[in-house]
Amino acid sequence: MKASLVWSSPSPEKTIAVAMRRCYSTKPIEEIDAELDQKGPEYWKYLLAKALQDKSLDVIEHFTMTFMVEGVKEAEAGELARSYPYVRLLRANADSWLISMNGRTLIEMWRNGTSRKTAEVFVSELRSREICPLLIPLAFEEKVGAS
Amino acid sequence: MRVRLLYHTDVVALKRALESKRAVFDAEALLDHVMYMFEIEDVSRVTTHQLVRHRMASYDQESQRFSAATKESSVTPKSVQSNKAAMEAYDQGLKAVYDAYEKMVAAGVPKEDARYILPNGIKTKILMTVSGKALMHLVWQRTALQAQWEIRELANELLRCAKETTPELWNKIIER
Repeated sequence: MKASLVWSSPSPEKTIAVAMRRCYSTKPIEEIDAELDQKGPEYWKYLLAKALQDKSLDVIEHFTMTFMVEGVKEAEAGELARSYPYVRLLRANADSWLISMNGRTLIEMWRNGTSRKTAEVFVSELRSREICPLLIPLAFEEKVGAS
Repeated sequence: MRVRLLYHTDVVALKRALESKRAVFDAEALLDHVMYMFEIEDVSRVTTHQLVRHRMASYDQESQRFSAATKESSVTPKSVQSNKAAMEAYDQGLKAVYDAYEKMVAAGVPKEDARYILPNGIKTKILMTVSGKALMHLVWQRTALQAQWEIRELANELLRCAKETTPELWNKIIER
């Protein structure tokens, strides 16, 4: 199985941080955004770690992405769609699929033994494109996955 | 009410990826893969309660457990605004509610408990990330004439944002 990233949402880590602050702040979004810019990536990283630690993964749903994936059999695609209702698949040709998901689903996929290998393909593609350099080491490492 | 589109999936990128596999799809098939993220501000909790019933979406909302409510932050329906007696009753009610809220907080009651007295009409802010498909269903249901006025206004705003940025996906939507 081979995945190439087609598109992912802009500034995903700051967006997740904005979503976290949205719950605790009465301020309009521009002010939350400016505050996060001013505090910088170290603070976003703190918020990301907190979301993972508190198991408040809903904020990570605002990070969305689409891959073109080769080498997926129909049965495998069906299994993925059944196990993860937030994953959407569109068959491009015999074994190529357009697959869209959000960051939370990817984490859940990674933590689940049966879909771990599939998740690793997506994560390594994100890593090679330098998407979410703060989130990836936090979310996709053994110690976080173990509960 | 204020609605802003924060991002949407690049439809051209999706089309290019499919073309590279010699696959051609109509807009409807792509809807499921196009995500929209919205910031919605200054709508009532009445409306966000209806909004989050659309479950195939992701939401994060200003929490009343942690942020204090203020007197100014209530949506007043037109039917109340245009009726002098109703408006008086509404103002009095709000004043009494917020007085009680502030007194409770001042007396040391946690905000998460004091909020039990807050009105449905209180203004709130919410983030929503939703697929085009789920958004289309929402728009279809909530722009209907039978829909309640505030969520109808919101659904029209969401539609306007989606149409402006990704018109090719929304051309088939019938104007009501």
